[in-house]
Amino acid sequence: MTSHRVKRARIDDLAIQTFNLTKNFDGLVAVDGIELNIRKGELFALLGPNGAGKTTTINILCCLLKPSKGTAQIMGYDILKQPFKIKEIIGVAPQETAISEHLNTKENMSLIGRIHGVNSPELKGRSQQLLETMGLVGRAKDQVRKFSGGMKRRLNIMMALIHNPEVLFLDEPTLGLDPQARRAIWEYITQLKGEKTILLTTHYMDEADFLADRIGVMDEGKIIALGSSQELKAGMREKNTMIVSAQNLTPKVIEEMRSRYAEVSITGDTMLITDSKLDFREIVDRLQSSGATVRSAHIKEPTLEDVFLNLTGKELRE
Amino acid sequence: MRVWELCKRNLRETYRDPLGMGFLLGFPLVFMLLFGAIFSGDTVSSLPVGVIDEDNTPLSQAFVNEALSEVPAFEISTYDDADTALRDLKFGELDAYIVIPAGFGQQVSRSWQGEKADITLQMTYDESELIISEQLISIINAVARAFARIEIPLTIDATPIHIETEITYVDFIGPGIIIFGLLILIPTSARTVVRDKEKGMLSRLLTTPTRPVDFILGYSLYLVVIAIAQIIIFMVAACLLGMDIVGNFWLAFLIFFLAGLCSIGVGMVVASLSKTEQQAEPLCWLISMPLAMLSGCWFSIEMMPQYLRGLAYAFPYAHAIDASRGILVRGVGMEAVSNDFLFLIGWAVIIFTIGIILFQRSMRS
Repeated sequence: MTSHRVKRARIDDLAIQTFNLTKNFDGLVAVDGIELNIRKGELFALLGPNGAGKTTTINILCCLLKPSKGTAQIMGYDILKQPFKIKEIIGVAPQETAISEHLNTKENMSLIGRIHGVNSPELKGRSQQLLETMGLVGRAKDQVRKFSGGMKRRLNIMMALIHNPEVLFLDEPTLGLDPQARRAIWEYITQLKGEKTILLTTHYMDEADFLADRIGVMDEGKIIALGSSQELKAGMREKNTMIVSAQNLTPKVIEEMRSRYAEVSITGDTMLITDSKLDFREIVDRLQSSGATVRSAHIKEPTLEDVFLNLTGKELRE
Repeated sequence: MRVWELCKRNLRETYRDPLGMGFLLGFPLVFMLLFGAIFSGDTVSSLPVGVIDEDNTPLSQAFVNEALSEVPAFEISTYDDADTALRDLKFGELDAYIVIPAGFGQQVSRSWQGEKADITLQMTYDESELIISEQLISIINAVARAFARIEIPLTIDATPIHIETEITYVDFIGPGIIIFGLLILIPTSARTVVRDKEKGMLSRLLTTPTRPVDFILGYSLYLVVIAIAQIIIFMVAACLLGMDIVGNFWLAFLIFFLAGLCSIGVGMVVASLSKTEQQAEPLCWLISMPLAMLSGCWFSIEMMPQYLRGLAYAFPYAHAIDASRGILVRGVGMEAVSNDFLFLIGWAVIIFTIGIILFQRSMRS
């Protein structure tokens, strides 16, 4: 009885659930049997290179595409059986900034708002609030065709938020933006954390690292790793790298290091030592006692890039 | 509500884009003026036509003197017998001659009294002159019908017969050209939807609770506004070019409107079937151009083989041309065009239903 209750509470806690979600395009498998459980209020990032199947996954969850196999639930509604229920409670910022070019900022928001049946006073209040948080107050009545890429991206997100959706889908929210504009958007997204369930796709590892509570690493239609940024990196601990910058490295000590550790490489005065277990002090002592002058030494923190490289044997960015 | 929001958005997109607006409204104007310039004026030089009046009643004389002689394109000369006329035709001095058979006047007066009448004219023409013979038949047909349907008091002798209209080639070709203009609404409609499809706007709207029927009606409502503006421009331009409106302006407008609606529907169907503008555009022209030819936008379809005419009447445009020509040129009323009218309405309903079904199917591939 108790265990049953616990189980139910857990399911109620989920905003997005996928069951063997699969999509084929003419024999090509774009999404390959994905099983995801995203909790309410969680910011989940799908990280992967272009063509990994991230956008296809989002499009299926937004009821734009029908899965070839499997199904998914958004807030308990089935994507195949209740698509219009789902469309009422989700907000989507698509990858291509789909906005009406000759409409102004407010009109673009009001178009989506009114389609969702938001009434006038509510619409007015919410657009004002969004204009303020997203920093577009001064451009409220300007036609958006003259906007910069960053402003269009911001409006793209505002349009996804105007009807106060429960679940937010952000497909590559900072694609093609300069670092400053990306930072600004990251800050806005951070403000939304906890309030809404957010599923975000990105091929920028720093974006996933900075924003996400949990990350699903996606490649060739499959989720190949799942966890928080820390958890994913922790999985890399069995392969640590230490970078030592030292002078007077003798062939003898280099030979000694090579016999002790799995991988040792030297470029100029820099020595890279890689092994499953590295003792920082021991290495420094050994080098110093051989007469070398150690100028600096540190253990390299693994990045998500390393995680991806380790999992797939290829670089995240093409 | 959603329909109106979508329509409003499309209207704003149009009137804030001078280039797009210019294309939608300027194009019909330029188009009409061009056709007007081609078909009006003296480009059609006077056609020498002989007349043999075998009926020889005041009515048949009136037909010759008041109706046929009033056609600017005709140069009428009277003959006493067909043999002389035939000789002149063979020598090229006539393009055609008409024999008004005995009993013509009697039949016309029966027609005027609302009785069933069998009015025939015999025409002999040089069939090697294709364009001329085509025009001749159309004009004589139109003149005779206009003449026979005019309502005048019963005492014919006392009342001078006044032909209310001069049938010119513009009168004949005008409705066809307007319908051709409305056929071009097919690519215009498809383009409007497919552009949004390509830019991702449609995908975004599809993640909202908007239903397929909302989409089709939202876009169509906007296009209806465009169609109405275009029809007004067409009709005003045609009148300025010399097209006379004998019948009810609004009835003709309604016929044009229904033809426009059918074009919008076809455009929606094409838009549902295509993913990009590059797909939609050629498909639209592949539909609208043969339809224009088949439906008789530029020439009468009476000359076409039976099976082609049957095909033409399967589409709404030949019906719309017949009906609008009847109203504008001959002044007929609703009772004469009710079949065409119902066909147009039925066709519009069916094509929109198909559009909505296809759109629904393409919504989630």
